[in-house]
Amino acid sequence: MKSKIINMADKTSDAVDRLLASAFDAPPIADDGFSDGIISKIRRRIWVNRLALPVAILVGVAFALKPALQLINALLPLLNVMPVELASVPMQFMPQIQLIVMGGMAFAAGITLLKMLEET
Amino acid sequence: MVASQDAKAFGELIRRHQSQVRNFLRKLARDETLADDLAQDCFLHVWDKIHTYSGSGSFIGWVLKVAYTTFLQSKRKSKRYHEILEQAGHETDRAPVAIQNAPETELDLDTLLAALNEQERVIMIFSYACGLSHREISEATDLPAGTVKSIIHRAKERIRTQFEIENHQYG
Repeated sequence: MKSKIINMADKTSDAVDRLLASAFDAPPIADDGFSDGIISKIRRRIWVNRLALPVAILVGVAFALKPALQLINALLPLLNVMPVELASVPMQFMPQIQLIVMGGMAFAAGITLLKMLEET
Repeated sequence: MVASQDAKAFGELIRRHQSQVRNFLRKLARDETLADDLAQDCFLHVWDKIHTYSGSGSFIGWVLKVAYTTFLQSKRKSKRYHEILEQAGHETDRAPVAIQNAPETELDLDTLLAALNEQERVIMIFSYACGLSHREISEATDLPAGTVKSIIHRAKERIRTQFEIENHQYG
């Protein structure tokens, strides 16, 4: 009798399983361009990320250029006020400073270019 | 290959799993358009977070966890949106959108799912629609495996009682 009850319980459980399996059964959904849509979004996003830094730098430079030039213009007359020995010190190092700045910029541009090539 | 942000390989992964993810979200959201939008968001999240996939569990289990999180986030946003509308004195239409021209099995599924609470519904969808194991469901829902097992048992019992399965054609 006990085993019969257990079997009945098992049978009931199987019936629920079968009902659920048939209710949840669904045919596969056709792609129909779904994945291509996501991939094109991702590609767009990659380009946006890639261009974000250079664009931000350009915008920053565009905004900062005018005030920076004004600052330089304002500071230039101070060189005449300074003692000649003191004013000549930065001028002595000017060629090296220019070289360092140019080298740094070339290095940064090279790294950005390599990174872009790697991601392509 | 995908970990190195290869869009082409990722496209192949989407093609392989999109049906399962969209099916899962359609059953959760009960709205095909919303579910497909959520599936798209889900795959974009997967792309962003793929480096966090440890490889310990099944990949589809992990993707479905991301899909479930995306669904919950969207639900929270929608709830907040309705609250704001209500506060502003607007009437809101919170009724779920019915799937038109749905086959008979879909209607049966609606009836079955209506008998369950939200947690039971999610876990049954994970189990029966996606075929995840108890351990995978536990990882996806952050519930202990024992709790998952007992929720499935409770949900099945509820269905059995509510629909009198013993006398049903399936019994």
